[in-house]
Amino acid sequence: MAMNDILLTIIEVIMMPIVAFIIGLFMVLMMRKLAARLQRRVGPPLFQPLYDIIKLYGKQTQVSHGLIHDIGIVMAVGGYVAAEALLPVPGMNGIAAQGGIITLAYLTMVPSLGLALGVGQCANPNGSIGISRALTSMLAYDIPFIIVIFGVAYQFGSTNLVDIIATQQAGGFSTWGISEMPVLALAGLFAMHASLGKQPFEIYIAPAEIATGPMVEMGGKFLGGLFVMQSFQLYTASVLYVSLFLGGGENWITFLLKCFGVLAIPVVIAYLFPRYRTDDLVRLVWKWPVMLALIGIAFVMN
Amino acid sequence: MSNTDLDKIEVNQKPVAKRSNPFANVFDELVSFCRSRSMFMLHYCTGCGAIELPPAMTSRFDMERLGIQPMVTPRQADILLITGYVSIKTLKRVILTYEQMGAPKYVIGICSCTVNGGMYWQSYATAKKLDEYVPVDLYIAGCMPRPEAVMEGLQQLMEKIKTDEANSWKQYYANYDYYLGNQQHLFGNNWQTPTDIIGEAKTYKLEGPNTLGEHTKILESVQRPLEPLEMKL
Repeated sequence: MAMNDILLTIIEVIMMPIVAFIIGLFMVLMMRKLAARLQRRVGPPLFQPLYDIIKLYGKQTQVSHGLIHDIGIVMAVGGYVAAEALLPVPGMNGIAAQGGIITLAYLTMVPSLGLALGVGQCANPNGSIGISRALTSMLAYDIPFIIVIFGVAYQFGSTNLVDIIATQQAGGFSTWGISEMPVLALAGLFAMHASLGKQPFEIYIAPAEIATGPMVEMGGKFLGGLFVMQSFQLYTASVLYVSLFLGGGENWITFLLKCFGVLAIPVVIAYLFPRYRTDDLVRLVWKWPVMLALIGIAFVMN
Repeated sequence: MSNTDLDKIEVNQKPVAKRSNPFANVFDELVSFCRSRSMFMLHYCTGCGAIELPPAMTSRFDMERLGIQPMVTPRQADILLITGYVSIKTLKRVILTYEQMGAPKYVIGICSCTVNGGMYWQSYATAKKLDEYVPVDLYIAGCMPRPEAVMEGLQQLMEKIKTDEANSWKQYYANYDYYLGNQQHLFGNNWQTPTDIIGEAKTYKLEGPNTLGEHTKILESVQRPLEPLEMKL
């Protein structure tokens, strides 16, 4: 590899999380705006997510519960920052070609584990209940998610996201994941919704029941870190879905339209429903999306 | 409580002195602007004024367009709304909650009960003036104030935060002896909270001449270290 290529890759790896953060902030805004519109409210102003984060980092007294509490938040944000470098966006591939979907699937689990470590040290019972629910729901949605990833990789004959996107873009709409394997795409949407932790899968936040679960002891910069994590989470989930099923982005305009459009589906559903119990969630997610994903795989492999 | 005790309070409502570095000033102004535009209020309500908050939050008045949203735990919150009379038992919880919040934190007293006891002024079981126990940034009088008044009050608080005038949380550290004295007067000399206010005041350099005094001496003599609760089924 020439020196220029290495330099370019380094710049891309630095730029991609920054771009992801900015887009993620707008995704948080869209989520809150949609919630407000559905409830016939005006909703927050344009820069509200940024105000929240700056304010939380600007708190003058910070309560830390120890070293692992600090490291847990760094892991939660860091896992997503690393994942962004593996998600190709128009014009920037970063290290996506070297990473592949399997590495990405591992990296998206790091934040939950980091959060579990951090919350564990807070010794708050609500936090412990919350994190055990978060890990349970991760166990639930990861199974359809992995089956979907397997199906997509089988269909395109590659686990490399850059190749998957290139194949879809070369053939146009008829070769997009969503038209080649619509059942898998539906299962993927279901799994993505569950992975976002929004209603009706909001078992681990549950403000009225366990006081926001993992976030219960987080104030100031810790909560700020979680807000940053949330914007990365929305970005990662939607961009991954767009890359697998909607042909990635030919340019920034179509890319952003697809990402925001995909994210709007779970968000609109979320604010119309209450939430399930933990056991109901596991039963539901292991039944329907898994069944859909298996049928989808049968169609792909026939 | 005699009125002479009230004179002990240093009223420090002046804006904080600006830093010499112009970039630091711009940064400070940005942070205080963001503070004023993003206020998380604690979901903790006392008394009857709480009933005026749901309309202020939902579609009719929509607090979220001002950046105000409810938060569930004291660690996450910026504003503590005291929405009505505070019984002595509730006051203990209010103080525990207030001390757990991360500074800068603001207290709003809603309804006349928090101002002077309101219709409960004769009661033996309620705290009459809230600001004898925790520093209050803003009162919204009325029995009960309508959502319009609540919104107006919150907008005034926003203005105060933007100009760095809402510093009552610093008074709690600087005059801890006064507030602790009033708390001991109600709850007895054995009163202690899990939060180490004196230690925080020292760590963040928020001590004043009245942080330590006769009442904190009583606290030191009765203070027991916190122990984990016994595990019982």
